[in-house]
Amino acid sequence: MSATGPTAARSVNDGAGPLLVDADAGSRDPAIKVSSLTKRYGEVLAVDEVTFSLDVGTVTGFLGPNGAGKTTTLRVLLGLAEPTSGEALVFGRRYGELADPASRVGAVLESNDFHPGRSGRDHLRALALAAEIPSSRVDEVLALVEIEPAADRRVKTYSLGMRQRLGLAAALLGGPELLVLDEPANGLDPSGVHWLRSFLRGFAEQGGTVLVSSHLLAEVAQTVDQILVIDRGRLVASGRLDELTARGRTLEDVYLELTGGTS
Amino acid sequence: MRAQLRAELLKQRSTTTSVGLLAGMLGLVLFAVLLHGLGLPAENVGGSSEQLMVFGRGEFLGALFAALVGALSITSEFRHGTIRPTLLVTPRRGRVVAAKVWVSAFIGAGFGLAASALAAGVGTAALWVRGIDIQLDGGDYALLLAGGPAAAALWAAIGVGLGAVLRNQVPTLVGTCAWLLFVEGLLVGDIADVAEVGRFAPGALGEAISGQDPGTLLAPGVAAVLLALYAAAGAIAGSLAITRRDVA
Repeated sequence: MSATGPTAARSVNDGAGPLLVDADAGSRDPAIKVSSLTKRYGEVLAVDEVTFSLDVGTVTGFLGPNGAGKTTTLRVLLGLAEPTSGEALVFGRRYGELADPASRVGAVLESNDFHPGRSGRDHLRALALAAEIPSSRVDEVLALVEIEPAADRRVKTYSLGMRQRLGLAAALLGGPELLVLDEPANGLDPSGVHWLRSFLRGFAEQGGTVLVSSHLLAEVAQTVDQILVIDRGRLVASGRLDELTARGRTLEDVYLELTGGTS
Repeated sequence: MRAQLRAELLKQRSTTTSVGLLAGMLGLVLFAVLLHGLGLPAENVGGSSEQLMVFGRGEFLGALFAALVGALSITSEFRHGTIRPTLLVTPRRGRVVAAKVWVSAFIGAGFGLAASALAAGVGTAALWVRGIDIQLDGGDYALLLAGGPAAAALWAAIGVGLGAVLRNQVPTLVGTCAWLLFVEGLLVGDIADVAEVGRFAPGALGEAISGQDPGTLLAPGVAAVLLALYAAAGAIAGSLAITRRDVA
C-alpha cells in the first residue's frame, strides 16, 4: 500500500462500503501512522518525509511555527488533500476508506467552518443526517459543549469561543475514538481554555486518542503527554513531554531551540 | 446516498438563501411580464409566438435562478468552509456532488414551476385586461408549465457543475448571469448564421423546451434531451473536479 496515487486511492474509495469493514482494524493498528509523508504545492515543499505513529489512548501536541506544515499534515491525514508521496493512515486505513469515519475520527480544522446564516443546531443536524447519526445525538453534543441556549441562533451571532465549541460538537457527533484538532484554543478566553483542557483530559481518560496542534505552549504542556515538533516541513522532534523537558527545561526552551527561535 | 440527499435538503432549508432567491425571482417575473404584457403595443403582442415570448420570461428567470441555487449549493460550502466538515463526514466526494445535483434539481424544478405559472397567469391577465385575444391553446400552456420546471431543474444541475469546477462564488455567479443574460442573447440574436449554432447553446435549449420561437429554436423534445446532456456533462465535470482536487 505504499505511495498509492490519487487514481488508485479513489478506486478503493468508491468501492462497496461493507467490503471495507474490518472489526479488528482498530485494536491492532496505531491510531495514526504517518509514513514518509511528503506534500508539495508547486515549488513549495509543505511537508517533507514526515514519519510518526501515535498509539491509541495518547494525547499528542503537534507544535511548530506558522507555515511549518502542521495543517497540511492534518489535511492529508483527514483525506482533504492527497499526499505527493508517502501515506497517512488512521486506524490502519486511509481516511477515505474508513467505513464510518464520523464514528472513528472527529476533527476540527478551522474555527469558523459554518454558514453564518444557519443555526448551530441545523449545522449539526445536517452533518448528523449525512453520517446517519440519530438526531438525539445532536442534543447530546450541544449539551456536552455547553452551547445549548444558543443552539437555535444563527452562527453569525456566536462569539469565537462559541464557534470553537460548535466545531468541537460537530467533531464529537459520531462518538469518535480519535480527535484531531487544529488550534482549538485560539480565541478562547481563560475559562474556555480551562474548559477545553478538562474536556480533552476527560476524553483521554475514557480511552480516547487526541492529536492537537497549538501555539500555546504553556497550555500544551498542561494537556498532552507527548509532542511532535515540525519545522519547515520536517519533523524535528518527537517524544514524551516529561523526557523532552527533563533537567528543568520548559517546553518553551525546547521548542525555541528546535525551531531556531522563529516562532 | 439517501443520507447525503437528506443532509443537502436540510442545508437548503436551514438558510434564507433559497427563500430570498425565490422572492427575487418572482419579483422579476412579475416586473418583466407586466412590463411587456401591459407596455408593448397591442400589435406586438397579438400573435401566439409574441405571447409565448412574454410568458416565456418565466422559463428564462426560472432557469437563471435555479442555476444560481445549484451554484450556491457548492460555492457557499467553499466560501464558508463548511466543505471541510461536509467531506469529513462523507469522504466519498462523488456522493456529495450527486446529492447536491439532485436536491438542486428538485428545488430548481420548484423555482421553474413557480416562475412559469406566475408568468403565464399574470401575462394572461395583463393581455385580457387590455382586451387582447389570447392566441395560445391548452397545449401551449401545458408546454410552458412543464418546460419551465424541466429547463430549471437541468439548469440547476449545470449550476452545481459550474460551481464545483470554479469553487469561487463570485466568478461562478457572475459567469452564470453573464452567460444567460448576455452571451445567449448574442448567440440567438439577429445574425442568422450564428443562431444556427446558437440554438444549441444551453440557454436557448431551455427556452426551446417551453415551446418558444419554433422558427429559430429546436423542438421541445430534442431540446430537452440536449439540455439533459449538458446537465449530465456539468454534473460529471463537477464531480471529477471535486474528487480530484485538494480541499484547502
